[in-house]
Amino acid sequence: MIASPSSSSSARGSKKAITKPGFKDQAESKWRTAAQQRIYGRRLIDALRATAPSGPHAVKEASDSALALTARGQSRWSRAILLGRRRRPSCKFLLKARRGRRQPKPPPPALKQGMAASPEGKKVSDRLRVLGRLVPGCRKLSAPSLLEEAADYMVALEMQVKTMRALAEALSAASLNAAEPGS
Amino acid sequence: MEPPRSSGVGIDNSGEYSPEIAETLRFEEEIQSLIHPSSFDGSAAPTGGGSFTALLGLPANQAVELLHDSGAREPLASRIRVGGHPVHRPFHLPLDCSSAFPSNATLVDRAARFSVFAAEGSPASSSGRLKAEPQDSDSPPLDPIPTGPAKRKDTGRSKCDVRLSLSFKSQAKATAKKSKNAEENTDGDKLPYVHVRARRGQATDNHSLAERARREKINVRMKLLQELVPGCSKITGTALVLDEIINHVQTLQRQVEFLSMRLAAVNPRIDFSSLDSYLSAECGPVTVRNGPGGVVVDPSLWPTDATAEATRRLLVPQFWHIDLVPPQLQPQQSLTTWERDGAAHSQLLPNPTTSLFLYDPANSGNANVPHLTAKLKTAEDRALNL
Repeated sequence: MIASPSSSSSARGSKKAITKPGFKDQAESKWRTAAQQRIYGRRLIDALRATAPSGPHAVKEASDSALALTARGQSRWSRAILLGRRRRPSCKFLLKARRGRRQPKPPPPALKQGMAASPEGKKVSDRLRVLGRLVPGCRKLSAPSLLEEAADYMVALEMQVKTMRALAEALSAASLNAAEPGS
Repeated sequence: MEPPRSSGVGIDNSGEYSPEIAETLRFEEEIQSLIHPSSFDGSAAPTGGGSFTALLGLPANQAVELLHDSGAREPLASRIRVGGHPVHRPFHLPLDCSSAFPSNATLVDRAARFSVFAAEGSPASSSGRLKAEPQDSDSPPLDPIPTGPAKRKDTGRSKCDVRLSLSFKSQAKATAKKSKNAEENTDGDKLPYVHVRARRGQATDNHSLAERARREKINVRMKLLQELVPGCSKITGTALVLDEIINHVQTLQRQVEFLSMRLAAVNPRIDFSSLDSYLSAECGPVTVRNGPGGVVVDPSLWPTDATAEATRRLLVPQFWHIDLVPPQLQPQQSLTTWERDGAAHSQLLPNPTTSLFLYDPANSGNANVPHLTAKLKTAEDRALNL
């Protein structure tokens, strides 16, 4: 298939190349394995099937939820996604969306200037806040855990993108093929 | 002679108060011994007061003045001055100070107490105050001396030597600097002497340590992220790197959105029910692999769906479990929790929105398009065989 061999090789290659201990190892080895992609892919398919006629929003939600599931609850963002979806998905989704995206600018960055002035300048704290908003469920998180979550989230997103692209390609190709003979 | 007695006093006091005091007093004793190689006796208790002021090396009035200036910290300073001063006025004072005996006893008390406090960490204001001392022409030697005894004996001794060799005023500055440098490696802001910033080694102060650890944590994670994000290794500066990271995350999220739109566009054309058969075909041989807990858990979770949907869902989560079991065999319980969650979650997610829709394709799909199945299967296989 188009992306699969490259993605598989890249997945395996990246998995082997990265042997650093610590979070990175966990994140990388967790998300970049081919098995994980397969798992996620299948889950995605199921989810997609379940939400077939809905619009792209539902698809995205489903895929995000599937991604979070694949995370097995070891990361904060995955838990946040699942919990956000689980209880009253429509309300919670709307609430979170509104609050998250329509919120006015955060208060002036006089907050996190505690101890070290150089790495925790105003700009940095601003950006950390933005990052906290991007990663689901990590708004009020300390800097090191936020960075950790962001790393995990990024790797998961990369895997999600890869899988979804492959799936989309496969499905579109299949639908094209199916459409040709005239269904 | 007085100095021996003073040292004796020191010993007595140390016996009363604390080992730190004992050290400091022993230090003074050693200093004295350096100056006057006479033997010391440790049993000169009652002369403590007089010898204290004698140790001060200044006339009693000055000593008292110093003591009263800063209240509590004085005795420390003054007492510590003792160590440096015997050089200059060891012999004259004892006679003068004997008159000031009673007050000296209290001074000794306070000195002892505050040496303890100094060792443990008296307020930094004392250090500030001591720092102000060199500006006073009265008692320049106060500065180096306070630092000496409360610190390690060796450094104190070396300082004492320095002091002995130089004049007092210059000594004050030099030893103050030396003490500053030496202080860096010891407690940070705890001791009163530390008007020092920990520039040389690393500060061992709790605050600085915590700061350093925190910064290290953040830096490590930033490095990780830098490696994750392509093209971020060249960027220096936390803010810019964070910019890149944010950019990257936003890009990925946007890609997910576009792909989801694409999938949504593709979806209606494909009967996902065909995937059912695809999956069910896989389920057969796979159930063998399934762990004992996996299959059992599923039926209990969907009491609601009693229709054909239920069977379909049963197949689906089984499949999930099958997928999950091989990669992660250890935490069976967590697996089941997550499988349950996943299954229940999948239940919940589509239920409110698509419950109506689900029935139709499911019921109708099975009969519809077998030819699509094969194609889809191959396509899916190719897509997923990564």
